Amino acid sequence: MADATQPILVIDDDPAILSTVADILEFEGYPVELAANGAEGLAALDRVQPRLVLLDMRMPVLNGWDFARTLHARGIILPLLVMTAAADARRWAQEIGAAGYIAKPFGLPELLTAVESLLR
Amino acid sequence: MSADELIQYLSWAIYLLIFAGVVVKLIRRPRRANLDIGLLFSATTLIIVVSGAGRLHLLPGDALGDLLTDLTIALLLSIPYWLVRLVDDFTSVPPWVMWLAGGGLLALAIGSLALPPTLPGWFANLALLYLISFLFYAGIAFVRESRRASGVTRRRMRAAALGSGFLVLEFGVSGLGQAFPALAALWQAGIDLAGLASGICYFIGFAPPGLIRRAWQEPELRAFLSRAAALPRLPDTESILREMEHGAATSVGAPYASIGLWDEAAGVLRFLIDGQTLAFDPAALPISGGAFLRQRPLFSDDIRRLNPANAAIVEARGTRALLAAPVTAGEKRLGVLTVYASRAPIFAEEDLDLIQLLADQAAVILESRALIDEAARVRAREEVTRLKEDFLSAAAHDLKTPLTTLVAQTQLLERRALRQPDAPADLAGIQKLVKEANRLKTLVLELLDAARAEQGRLVGDRQRVDLVAVVEETCTRHNSERHPCRVEAPGPAVGTYDPARILQLTENLVENAVKYSPDGGEICVRVWQEDGWNHFTVADQGIGIPAAELPQVFNRFHRGANVDDRRFSGMGLGLFICQGIVEQHGGRISVSSTPGQGTTFRVALPVGRGADGAQEGGPS
Repeated sequence: MADATQPILVIDDDPAILSTVADILEFEGYPVELAANGAEGLAALDRVQPRLVLLDMRMPVLNGWDFARTLHARGIILPLLVMTAAADARRWAQEIGAAGYIAKPFGLPELLTAVESLLR
Repeated sequence: MSADELIQYLSWAIYLLIFAGVVVKLIRRPRRANLDIGLLFSATTLIIVVSGAGRLHLLPGDALGDLLTDLTIALLLSIPYWLVRLVDDFTSVPPWVMWLAGGGLLALAIGSLALPPTLPGWFANLALLYLISFLFYAGIAFVRESRRASGVTRRRMRAAALGSGFLVLEFGVSGLGQAFPALAALWQAGIDLAGLASGICYFIGFAPPGLIRRAWQEPELRAFLSRAAALPRLPDTESILREMEHGAATSVGAPYASIGLWDEAAGVLRFLIDGQTLAFDPAALPISGGAFLRQRPLFSDDIRRLNPANAAIVEARGTRALLAAPVTAGEKRLGVLTVYASRAPIFAEEDLDLIQLLADQAAVILESRALIDEAARVRAREEVTRLKEDFLSAAAHDLKTPLTTLVAQTQLLERRALRQPDAPADLAGIQKLVKEANRLKTLVLELLDAARAEQGRLVGDRQRVDLVAVVEETCTRHNSERHPCRVEAPGPAVGTYDPARILQLTENLVENAVKYSPDGGEICVRVWQEDGWNHFTVADQGIGIPAAELPQVFNRFHRGANVDDRRFSGMGLGLFICQGIVEQHGGRISVSSTPGQGTTFRVALPVGRGADGAQEGGPS
């Protein structure tokens, strides 16, 4: 059902990270959709149907947990890849039923490895 | 039997009972106060028996009757003297009053023998003056003492004062009998009743039976015990001590109490007396120190005799007798509780038990206080830890976020430059950026890990880990022509560990081995399981560590003296973190080295604890 034209939705409140992740993914040929927090992410879901969501956890307005809870409540099933600087990255990813996590600071190879493994 | 006779027999019976009680007490504890009480009651009992017998016509002929009358008068005159002596037993009487009372008695006794049997009026008046004035003196002295004293002693002194009052009343009524002889029977009944009342009052005042004594101690004791639960929460130990001292003193009915706290380091008992702390070697204090050293309550009726050295301190408060009991919580010696009184008769035999009870209560209060203080310290420590954690967490987030960009963006630049070589780009510069960014990342992560190691929070969720697999992964990554990395493992070595940290541990050790083997040389990693422990060693053939430095290699920020800083960068945190990882897994890490030949790190990790075993099957 996933096809290459579906974008990857990236949600992070840090604009630098957001643009860097976008640059990397676009350079590798993935279309991207960006959101600065969970609420914007939900709004983006009205426009696009992403193949994957890269999700920061600690964000203003609507955090990662609430974003995931809303998805669940709406019956939307999407693979989530948690991006966080917290030491509890693995537990947090489990908590929201994410498909995987990458701990900040991550580099280009880690990011692409994680994304590719989830899209494979 | 007439009412007069009934009163007579009743008072005989009561007086004889009291007399018997007093004599028994005197025989059991032959002290001056008990002797004085015995003499007082001997006199009064004899008077009552003789005069009563005379009235009931139980006595033979006139000659004997005269002798008995003389005896009665002599006994009557002796009563004020015994009372003044008793005043001195409970408080202090100026010496001249004592002399006056004794001298007066002697003069009157000689006079009554020398003068004709029918005594002249002036002599009778003189005798009456002597009687009344010393009775008043005793009565007032007891009232004064009752005001000064507290608790049971106050009540005893009140009873004694009341006894003196009844005695004065008795003489007053007898005077009325002389003035209005028509109502002789009424006056006689009054005299008998007042005499009986004074006898009972003196008895319960001077030698209260255990039952009355306990009842009189109860209100203060109850008040103290009901306050006891609140005492540990007073603002400082000082106030607690003062409250306990006050409670102990009033419960025993003594003017002062003081608690000496044991200072184990200095080997002294510290008392706070009149605003200044005095430290005493327990061996120098026969009663307080003795009670503390022998761990049992002790009593002394005269501290001046026992301890002349400290007599001045005790004497300054007009106290002479003291009771002391050890304040001990279980095996822990906290100090000693000492209660002071002006005179020994203030105390009774049973007070040794009471003082021990109060000392035990004091121990409970002090221990509760210690627990409260400890809890406050723990809370303060937790607060500091929480602040550190907050800082760590904030620092982690704030440092990692820009690092992510730095690392990822430079890597992207590098990748672009590699893929599009024609595009204008400074590849060398970019590669330097990548390298430095990575270095910065490593350092920040090391710093954060070191902070976490310090707090014992390095190890996260555990799962089953095969050390052989981890070591092989590490070795493969670091294997090179220059530094071949070899793993020797007879079989799997599975344990319950934090996989990320175990990988970090092996990476660190192997990386170190490579780093400090500048001339090449094999890295050998051995892994085996033995007796519930997984062992692994990382051996290199590098520059080694001088023997003097071996003990410090696991310290924070330690850098080897034989290490070229420019060639081997780092903050000296790697081995500190390694040690944290190992120890927080319940394991041990050690190192041996021969400079110029190589270094071997040995790690032993428990296979896994039962408690954590539950996590083995958990989600991961």
